[in-house]
Amino acid sequence: MRLVRAEVLKIARRRGLMIWTLILTIGAVLVSEIILVALHAANPDHHGPAGGETNFTNYVSVLILLGTVASIMIGATAGSQDVSNGVFRDLVVTGRKRATLFNVRIPGVLLVFLPMMLIGFALALGGSLAFAASLPHPSASVVGGYGAYALAFTGINVILAVGLAAFVSSRIVVGVLIAWNVIVAPLLTQINSLGSARKALDTVAAHSFAPSRFEHQQVTMSAAGAIAVLLIWAVAFSSAGRWWTNRRDA
Amino acid sequence: MATVIETRGLTKKFGERAAVDGVDLTVPAGIAFGFLGPNGAGKTTLIRTLLGLTKPTSGEVALLGLPQPQKRSEALARVGAIVEEPRFHPHLTGRENLVIVAAARDRAADGRIPEVLERVGLTHRSNDRVKTYSLGMRQRLGIARCLLADPALLMLDEPMNGLDPAGILEMRRLIRAFVDEGRTVFLSSHLLDEVEKTCDQVAIVDHGRVVVQGPVAELAAQGKPTVLVEVDDAAAARAVLGGEPRITHVEEEGASKLRLTLGDGLGSADVNRALVAAGVAVSRLEPARATLEETFLSITSRLGEDE
Repeated sequence: MRLVRAEVLKIARRRGLMIWTLILTIGAVLVSEIILVALHAANPDHHGPAGGETNFTNYVSVLILLGTVASIMIGATAGSQDVSNGVFRDLVVTGRKRATLFNVRIPGVLLVFLPMMLIGFALALGGSLAFAASLPHPSASVVGGYGAYALAFTGINVILAVGLAAFVSSRIVVGVLIAWNVIVAPLLTQINSLGSARKALDTVAAHSFAPSRFEHQQVTMSAAGAIAVLLIWAVAFSSAGRWWTNRRDA
Repeated sequence: MATVIETRGLTKKFGERAAVDGVDLTVPAGIAFGFLGPNGAGKTTLIRTLLGLTKPTSGEVALLGLPQPQKRSEALARVGAIVEEPRFHPHLTGRENLVIVAAARDRAADGRIPEVLERVGLTHRSNDRVKTYSLGMRQRLGIARCLLADPALLMLDEPMNGLDPAGILEMRRLIRAFVDEGRTVFLSSHLLDEVEKTCDQVAIVDHGRVVVQGPVAELAAQGKPTVLVEVDDAAAARAVLGGEPRITHVEEEGASKLRLTLGDGLGSADVNRALVAAGVAVSRLEPARATLEETFLSITSRLGEDE
């Protein structure tokens, strides 16, 4: 636990990273709500209420989109900062196993990141209820489904970033994972000839938790299957990162 | 006397090049041990290999009597080390950087943080971010980080690098204080003067090999005797001594002084006798031994010639 707390300290004291993570999670939802509330107040006939189920899904979509960028940034930093700051060797000479030094990075960064995602999600839900007016409130299944979707999509990216950052610099990790999430994975999902092989994609697995399907989403899978796919991705990337951390010169 | 570091045939190769080449090293407990060599001699690689930061190509290592890497965690729990320059998370304070490393050590390390900050004189700056620290302060924070382990062995890689004279003096005082407490300090340096002033024993390394090892005083005494002669006419003295084959080197130090390196069978009295007989007035005759620096230079340059 002391090592996990140390990881939290290392991340949480990065002022710039924390500000950006707050902006991309809590800030993004708040700004979305403020805009919709302001539009509705200015012209209620043309702009409907800022709450309700549809707006809830919109808020969460913004949270997932920008939260994914934040998750990659924060994960890449957590995975690379000991080496990039030259402190990894000082941790190694304490006699701690390198695998342990790697393993604590994931819970450490999740403890910093997930509360921000949860607050962002709570704001989205709160706004959708508070500003619903005559619109229907989001149902429990929609709230649960989108909660799982947001957690899965951003959480898996944190873990992938931590694992990848054991090999390359944080900038490269950010570039690679954003390209994967924005370009490569959506393109692969669109290729019908790949059939059920697309279920192996982490993005498809995470999307499958969302109750209402996106138009471009053409692959469906069970929750158990999605969890299994996400676990395989998480284990593969964290194992690779641990292996390289064990092997590299400190 | 127990040994804290023992290596047998330790070798570390990068491709075909051996940065550490069959090193047999024995460091007794409770002393300051200097690992001396020119830049690129393999000092840092040896330290990295001893600490398990890089895997040796071959050979055996024991730290604090414990074989490595089999008993690595057990040994390193009582070792503090600075490898190359001390590095820290710059966005954290000095105290927070110690908290990070203390978390990787035993629980008692947390309680030592105030004490070690006080010891290196950084208590008043401990809540400032490390990026505002001078190099000297970082060196001292690096020492504080080592002390979190309550180490039996401190391994310091070029600890005087970048320090001003006051900082060097302070570092030397700290190292001697550690030795007085019964700890062993293993320090690498290319600063001969510092090793001579700080260490009890020294190993001289060149091209990855330990070429000589022993007490500083003994190694310095291995140098050839020299004599400083002050005369009324240095040119005449030089002419007189030029015919003596047992004088291996003559160096003028000012208009009236000569430093002579004497070969076997020749003493300062013989030099005095020859000069007086030739009518050269001698006003000063000061025998001396070569410094460790001269011994070091003679060893390392000889190796260079061998190749």
